[in-house]
Amino acid sequence: MNLHDDPAEAAFRAELRDWLRSRLPDDDPSRTWSTAELREWSRDLSAAGYAGITWPREYGGRGLSAAYQAIFVEETARAGAPDHINIIGMNMVGPTLIAHGTDEQKARYLPGILSGRTLFCQGFSEPEAGSDLAAVRTSARRAEPDGYLLDGEKVWSSYAHLADHCLLLARTGPAEPKHQGLTCFLLDMRAPGVKVSPLRQLNGDTDFNQIILTDARVDDADVVGEVGKGWSVALSTLAHERGTFGITLTARLVAQFDRLLRLVREVGAEDDPAVRRELAVLHARLQGLRYTGYRSLAALRRSGEPGAESSILKLEWSLLHQRVCALALRLQGPAALLDGGDAAWHGYWQRQRLRSRANTIEGGTSEILRGIVAERVLGLPRSRQ
Amino acid sequence: MDFALTDEQREIRQAARDHLERHYPPLRVCALAEGPGGSEAGAWPELIRQGWLDDDLGMVELTLLAEESGRCLHPTPWWTTVALAAPYARAAGEQLTVPATFADGGGTVRPARSPQGWTLTGQVAAVPQAGAVRCLVVRADTDQGPAVFACDTGSAGLVVAELSTLDTLRRMARVRCDGTPARLLVGPDRAAEAARTARLRGGVLLAAEAVGVAAGALDMAVAHARQREQFGRPIGSFQAVAHQLTEAYVDTESARSLAYRAAWLVQHEPEAGAQAVDEAVLVARSAAVRTCETAIQITGGMGVTWEYPLHRWLRRALWLEAYPGFGDDPHDRVAERLLRRADPDEITPTAPDGR
Ligand SMILES: Cc1cc2nc3c(=O)[nH]c(=O)nc-3n(C[C@H](O)[C@H](O)[C@H](O)COP(=O)(O)OP(=O)(O)OC[C@H]3O[C@@H](n4cnc5c(N)ncnc54)[C@H](O)[C@@H]3O)c2cc1C
Repeated sequence: MNLHDDPAEAAFRAELRDWLRSRLPDDDPSRTWSTAELREWSRDLSAAGYAGITWPREYGGRGLSAAYQAIFVEETARAGAPDHINIIGMNMVGPTLIAHGTDEQKARYLPGILSGRTLFCQGFSEPEAGSDLAAVRTSARRAEPDGYLLDGEKVWSSYAHLADHCLLLARTGPAEPKHQGLTCFLLDMRAPGVKVSPLRQLNGDTDFNQIILTDARVDDADVVGEVGKGWSVALSTLAHERGTFGITLTARLVAQFDRLLRLVREVGAEDDPAVRRELAVLHARLQGLRYTGYRSLAALRRSGEPGAESSILKLEWSLLHQRVCALALRLQGPAALLDGGDAAWHGYWQRQRLRSRANTIEGGTSEILRGIVAERVLGLPRSRQ
Repeated sequence: MDFALTDEQREIRQAARDHLERHYPPLRVCALAEGPGGSEAGAWPELIRQGWLDDDLGMVELTLLAEESGRCLHPTPWWTTVALAAPYARAAGEQLTVPATFADGGGTVRPARSPQGWTLTGQVAAVPQAGAVRCLVVRADTDQGPAVFACDTGSAGLVVAELSTLDTLRRMARVRCDGTPARLLVGPDRAAEAARTARLRGGVLLAAEAVGVAAGALDMAVAHARQREQFGRPIGSFQAVAHQLTEAYVDTESARSLAYRAAWLVQHEPEAGAQAVDEAVLVARSAAVRTCETAIQITGGMGVTWEYPLHRWLRRALWLEAYPGFGDDPHDRVAERLLRRADPDEITPTAPDGR
């Protein structure tokens, strides 16, 4: 057991910190980044070797352990750096392709994902298939000799309005049992028959979208894994989304908590006993979350699998983030009524307070995640029939 | 960073669990809870043979033993010995091998010095396990300031009166001494430092025991939920049941992470450990109480009977929540450190230094 960086990790961290300091002089949460700025930022990250830290070297990564990725997310969160614009490509699609993709797919997509040149979105959810993802109805009809035509509707697809490609789950075997007739595809978002319309979130942002597919064509070469085996491919994508990605989320929450402390001082609430108590509980639980993440990283390093405790990361993160944002707005008293330019920090906390409601829904709702822990970790009998 | 137990630590934990499961199944623990003394008198030589009092056990190793002890409510004075008394013996460069506990006689016990040595006079209202130990470590105020003494429970003038106690496996007792001969362990010059270290080590082991109490209660509740059927199905298949158990699991795992982290820090960087210990105590105490309460809910009417063992775990959780031995409520200390740090960026919680 060792809670400190080893010398190589410490060197990596120091170098990264310097690099970030030169790029981002201070953490300004109210700063908004344009898409062009985000693209440039992502290109720079990649050029500096900070994209694909854990990816194998043969695919353009650095082949480092997840501990380095954890350092990366801690330091970028601390510096208030924005996400790589290709967050879905980097965190979900890339690892899925590395595990299930063909050599040709890897060669074609992985370099672009890393550099931020090829942006991805994830087209899993549908109006009738959210938690019950295996119920997807989007159909993939055979188009001889060498492809499929897609028809259906995808919803809540984050960044689809920017994306070049989509990792998409569709039904190739309508007559087969629910989990067996599914296939994962790589869809070109510029193909005819693909229509993206923005959906506005409750906080006013428009980061996610509806995708309507009308005879949109994919080739056999765009099948990820095997035809009819899409469910296991999707599960491995979700495992990335819900598993060690929790460590990224936690690092951001630690930075968010620091912002909360800044706000406590700004509004002069340091001596309010109720605020102090809530701060202590939130901070202690956040440390618990953080060190549970480290435990899961160590298990990953030893056995290749994150430990059972990694299943709680996303669940606990979402609830804590909601509490942090709720406290931030309560601290503002009547000033919390204002928004945008009239509010403190240009309405940062108002946006966060509202946006955080999605945390217990996106990437698997808390109810679904609790069911997974109950079944897989606690070994309780399955509740769904 | 490598936040994982070593193979050797894993073996220690497994050996502890095997030993405790063999000797202390719940029914036996319940019987001891109702018997005289509330602990097993004859167990000590075996604990020594098993290495539970070895000098070279580090904080992480002790944490694992305390966790396993909490899991089965290990009914001996081992916890009071290592968590409350041993840190003072350690400060004096001694090793404690007899069952012991700590009595805070600050303001109520007067030491006196004679050519024959020190004597103590006064009383301490509530001392954990005083009726089950052989050695009392007593803090008392000398003219030069607080100091720490050790005395044998068989010494002249020492009267131990057991009190009726919420957790009968860890009974409180009133201790009176009247000219009782005692040995100076830590003089006033080093008592403050010794008390600080004792608070850190005791706090870690309190959190560790609380983690074990939560884990033990959770195990019982999960086993019950798998096997008990209502409406023709195991109750664990009802989400309302399963999700409550999941919440308890989240609490327990967070507490465990914090207890291990605090243990490592207190061992390796005691000056950085105070905040980590407070956080561990805060989260682990509440995890223990909440998990025991959940477990009782899940075991239904049976869980609230006297015969069913779970209330013993709840009693221990409540004991750990109320035990005042490590300073006042940790919430305020945690908040104070967060808010008053001079430079807000100085010990930002993101700092990679385990703080
Ligand atoms: C901000 C955001 C971004 C997203 N980005 C993407 C994306 O990029 N790509 C993508 O494919 N999807 C995305 N999603 C969709 C997301 O995965 C789904 O919203 C989520 O899985 C829940 O599905 P649903 O919305 O249909 O809700 P439902 O499944 O209809 O659930 C509604 C409520 O019922 C509960 N419920 C449902 N089933 C059960 C059950 N068996 N037991 C107990 N309770 C149950 C749920 O917990 C929830 O509280 C995003 C969602 C959000 C909010």
